[in-house]
Amino acid sequence: MNTQTLGTTDSQLIRLAADGDARAIRALYDRYSPRVYAVVRRIAGDDDLAQDYAQEAWIRAIRALPTFRGDARFSTWIHRIAVNSALQALRKAETRRKREGPAPEDVPIAPTHSDALLQKQLERALDGLPEGMRRVIILHDVEGYTHEEIGDVLGVTAGTSKSQLFKARAKMRVMLAGLDGAALEHGAEAWSI
Amino acid sequence: MEHLSAEQLARLVDEEPGAEEADHLSACTGCAKELEALREQTLSLAALPEIMPPLGDWRVLEAQLRSEGLVRDPGLFRRLGLAQTPAWMKAAAAVMLFLGGATTGSALTTAGAVSFRSQNAQVANVEDAAFAVRSAEQDYVTAVVRYREMLAQSGGADLGSDPISRFAALEHLVIVSQAAVRQAPGDPFLNGFLTSAMAERDAALRMVSASRDNWF
Repeated sequence: MNTQTLGTTDSQLIRLAADGDARAIRALYDRYSPRVYAVVRRIAGDDDLAQDYAQEAWIRAIRALPTFRGDARFSTWIHRIAVNSALQALRKAETRRKREGPAPEDVPIAPTHSDALLQKQLERALDGLPEGMRRVIILHDVEGYTHEEIGDVLGVTAGTSKSQLFKARAKMRVMLAGLDGAALEHGAEAWSI
Repeated sequence: MEHLSAEQLARLVDEEPGAEEADHLSACTGCAKELEALREQTLSLAALPEIMPPLGDWRVLEAQLRSEGLVRDPGLFRRLGLAQTPAWMKAAAAVMLFLGGATTGSALTTAGAVSFRSQNAQVANVEDAAFAVRSAEQDYVTAVVRYREMLAQSGGADLGSDPISRFAALEHLVIVSQAAVRQAPGDPFLNGFLTSAMAERDAALRMVSASRDNWF
């Protein structure tokens, strides 16, 4: 990060960035791009899409900066923009896919070692979830949204959000443990990770 | 005994078990372990770190922001690689621009065929005003460039670091400023500028004297 912007507060940077100051925009990007990229990457489940979604999120945010009133923290504000931006893009992609034909089968996740929940394994397992489940588990378990907030963002009820979350957790558990779903119903001894 | 379903266990990560579920969990180590594993999984998800975007993302974003006009263009000085131009030199150019060829400005036009646009252009609307400002900025930069060249031609090869050429340039600036003040004696900017230029010149003179005193 530029040393001149290192000690600058968010509100100062936001004021400058809203006026189009390139260095201030860059400083905000440096501060928050990992957070933005992380959430869109996990929602997208794909690096290329994530880059597009992150770019779109930033462009939306910079466009909207003059309207940022500081009611929420900037990190929360841009995080919400990133989530909405990624979800909206995914919905568009889904619509396009439906028009064009059936989607390819999900790539199965290979069984992972059962003795550790490594970050890569978690990310791979997230990527392997069906989209609806992935969105909910990312927003709830990774990003800390409540079911009501998820309902607002996804346009579903809190009950649907809960139901999707529990399915997602269970499916992830199966993927991470390298077991099939049936094993969970029967052999308790084989469940430990 | 029927085990708790995977989704029941996933729910119990967040919620208290009912009486039957609690009884089962206390009796079934498999389900209890599975619930513990799901809790660990949930905690691990919450602890996932941020992800650095790929290198080059900023450049792509910056290009997009520029194409939408969301980034203010850097000043002409930066674009022309003149960001390091000393302030006093910029000021000298400003004074010359102000004089518009009446005195030393004529030297500029003679030396580099620089012609300044009219400073008295009438502006009818905001677009005209913006254009006038851009034109003025361009003239100002042109003047600085020309001024650098002039100083270089007159022996100031290492502008800013050589005390003698710096003093000579500042002395020239003082003379120009004095001429400007004579034309507009009541102008506060020019008077303030002359005072600053004289202070800079005197400081440069002290540096020259100091370097001569210590030449051995």
